[in-house]
Amino acid sequence: MKTIPAFISATVDQFRYAPLVIQIAVIFTAVAVSMTAIAYISILLNRYRSHRREKKLAALHPLIDELLTEHILMNEELYTDEPVEATVPVGVFDKPIFEKKWARQVLIQRLMQYRDNVQGAMGDQLRSLYIQLGLDKDSLKKLKSSRWDHKIQALGELTNMDIPIADVIILPLTNSRNRELRATARHAYIKLSKNEPFKFFDVATEPLLLWDQVELFRIISTTDRISIPNFAQWITYSSNKSIIAFCLKLVEHYQQLSAVPAVVKLLDTRDHYLRANAINCLGKLRIESVEDKLMSMYDSQPHHCRTEILKAFGRISSGKQVDFLRQEFLHSSDFEIRKHAAKSLINNQWAASSLIQELVDTATRENKLILKHCMNPLIKF
Amino acid sequence: MDSTFWEMLRNIFEAGTFIYGAVLLGTYALLALFSIIAVRSYAKKGESQQVDILLKSPLAPGITVLAPAYNEGLTIIYNVRSLMTLVYPRYEIIVINDGSTDNSLEQLIEAFELVPVDFAYNVKIPTQPVRKIYKSSNPAYALLTVIDKVNGKSKADAVNAGINAASYDYFVCTDVDCILHEHTLMELIKPVMQEPHKRVIATGATLRIANSCEFDEGVMTRMRPPRQLLPRFQEVEYIRAFVLGKMGWSLINCVPNVSGGLGLFDKEVAIRSGGYDFSSFGEDMELMTRMCRYASDNKIDYAIRYVPRTLCWTEAPVTVRIFGRQRTRWARGLAQLMHAHFSMFLNPGYGRMGMIIFPYNFFFELLAPLVEAIGIIFYITGAVLGLINWPTALLLLLFIYTYSVMITTLAILWDQLTFRYYKSWREVIYLCATPLMEMFIYHPLIVFFSLRGYFHFLTGKKSSWGNMQRRGFKQQATAH
Repeated sequence: MKTIPAFISATVDQFRYAPLVIQIAVIFTAVAVSMTAIAYISILLNRYRSHRREKKLAALHPLIDELLTEHILMNEELYTDEPVEATVPVGVFDKPIFEKKWARQVLIQRLMQYRDNVQGAMGDQLRSLYIQLGLDKDSLKKLKSSRWDHKIQALGELTNMDIPIADVIILPLTNSRNRELRATARHAYIKLSKNEPFKFFDVATEPLLLWDQVELFRIISTTDRISIPNFAQWITYSSNKSIIAFCLKLVEHYQQLSAVPAVVKLLDTRDHYLRANAINCLGKLRIESVEDKLMSMYDSQPHHCRTEILKAFGRISSGKQVDFLRQEFLHSSDFEIRKHAAKSLINNQWAASSLIQELVDTATRENKLILKHCMNPLIKF
Repeated sequence: MDSTFWEMLRNIFEAGTFIYGAVLLGTYALLALFSIIAVRSYAKKGESQQVDILLKSPLAPGITVLAPAYNEGLTIIYNVRSLMTLVYPRYEIIVINDGSTDNSLEQLIEAFELVPVDFAYNVKIPTQPVRKIYKSSNPAYALLTVIDKVNGKSKADAVNAGINAASYDYFVCTDVDCILHEHTLMELIKPVMQEPHKRVIATGATLRIANSCEFDEGVMTRMRPPRQLLPRFQEVEYIRAFVLGKMGWSLINCVPNVSGGLGLFDKEVAIRSGGYDFSSFGEDMELMTRMCRYASDNKIDYAIRYVPRTLCWTEAPVTVRIFGRQRTRWARGLAQLMHAHFSMFLNPGYGRMGMIIFPYNFFFELLAPLVEAIGIIFYITGAVLGLINWPTALLLLLFIYTYSVMITTLAILWDQLTFRYYKSWREVIYLCATPLMEMFIYHPLIVFFSLRGYFHFLTGKKSSWGNMQRRGFKQQATAH
């Protein structure tokens, strides 16, 4: 019977003198088996860690909830005229568990959740607690981290707790090369900047993505104390097209009539996407005085600008463009153009009811179908 | 002379197989690496983003959900209700009844209070004639449109009719039997809205097998790996294909295909590319190829993105017969695609599509079953003639086996590290054990049905809508 060292030695010899293909196969088989074993162990450990974390959170969350509810939210003594910071019972949070980093992070998350759901004095007390427990220092430390995800987390926390961040720290982040960090920094800047929340519009060189616009729009439209500037300044002077496009949406949202001259000027831009956005904005603002200009430029426009002009005539609904809409509806060879013309005619119904009836009676089969489509309240588009 | 010739042939074959295998295994290793980067990046970015911000936003792009149906009477009402649970501020659902011979349409009319409307249907992509278009008279179902059309003998024709009627700039194509996650639309549109420089022409997401999952009112409530072996193999295959394969390709913008079960598409590019090809058996891959081709021809800097999160559950075939029919069809579609677009093969004018995706699909998707079949014949012949060095052969087989198990296990690991879908340990062990059997039970089936698909392609055998003979989720849900 062979001894173990002899067996190993024989195997090594066999391997050494085996063809290259076999040597490679053996090495890769060993690698594959090891990797598979590591994968199994990783799945096991990952599930175990998640399980433990869930258990720890299940124990900690009720404790935090109880402390916050009893000593902050339901504590009537706090809601008097006394200075806020002097009265928050910080001592009740003086527990060994909150010395641990993970528990402090859980506490921050919980405070943020509560602050999202309460307003006024209660929100101020939560903020005060955050500061007095020194949790703001944890956040600021994360803000100085080299990791972008830590910075994002810190910005989220400081914004939620309304803790000011110096422009010198936050403004460079609004132009960061990391998209997520850049977006979060911009949101934070709008929320935290007292004087010029839209200052980063001046320095933004990276495009404002559609997703960023959605987030910014939500922040701008839901934050109460933001002073809304005249967006005409960026529509006129910004070299960043995405900023201009976004400002057009804000002009429309805030019905900012003072920005209309700047939007009208934009009709002459060479970028037809921006031009279409400007037409859309003017239509939604119902600027009747721009109708003649839109009509005069119609023939020289690409398809999507034309449809925007037709839509604008429907939205403005002045009744002055009925003949033009009729002409487009009857004579255009493009189905979409005819459909938009018909829709706008319907929107001008107050001035074109007899014309619409006449068209229904005399139009071709397809045009009649388009008209009926547009007149049917069950069909939205 | 003869023996020298055979020896030379054998050497060439062995060397060729070695190089082929080495490149394939190397590609898988690279994909594993790319996919973990892509999946972790998705998860990390997701931590700082709330998808629900789109919920109330007036800036959310509109999306049309297209659900073609042919004789889906067993589940159609349940599935349309499931589509209505999608959470998104601007969307519409278009169900296309492709001339069903069962009572699908009657059920829809009754359940959703549908009435025929004068709909200005614009034929941008030619299809079989549309008979009627219905809208609901009940405002609760205002987002539903039902198109009743003459049967086009393919899903492609039905979807094309839906594209013609779609109002929004993006459409999501799904099968009416699929159950979607409620956040599907938000997740699919996110990569489109987050892309700074390229035009995202399509987005896909991970699909899973619904067979043993629990659903309540069309919403997935409990995810489980299928109890039956054949669907479980498919679950593992889907994890490998989506989480590892497509996510890996997504990192380098080389996604070869967006699954027909769930995908979001840029409507303008899809229409300009001619829509789905009704004569194709792999219409999803065919459309994707044509969209890429159109984008390259028109100098559009495009991207195709994938989301590793599972957003769609589909009922997998449970019998070998139906499974075989499905895979034969897919293989035939692949052969058709390669034949129709072969001019893209190694054509630098088509960028990564021509230089990476197409060659990969040709060598490692289309040829793989053929290479395997030839290899098996070669080995059997060798064994009969006593030319096989068995220790070496078994060692190589062991290598292939362990490597394939490793790749699939890594895919399961990436999935588990990021999403942790299954509740119990037992379910995960079940899943992890499945790749150990795959090579001996499941893989030979795939090879066989692929070869059958190629044979049908070469002989031009007639085929129609791939009716899956569904068991239905409703029964499943009530059974639990």
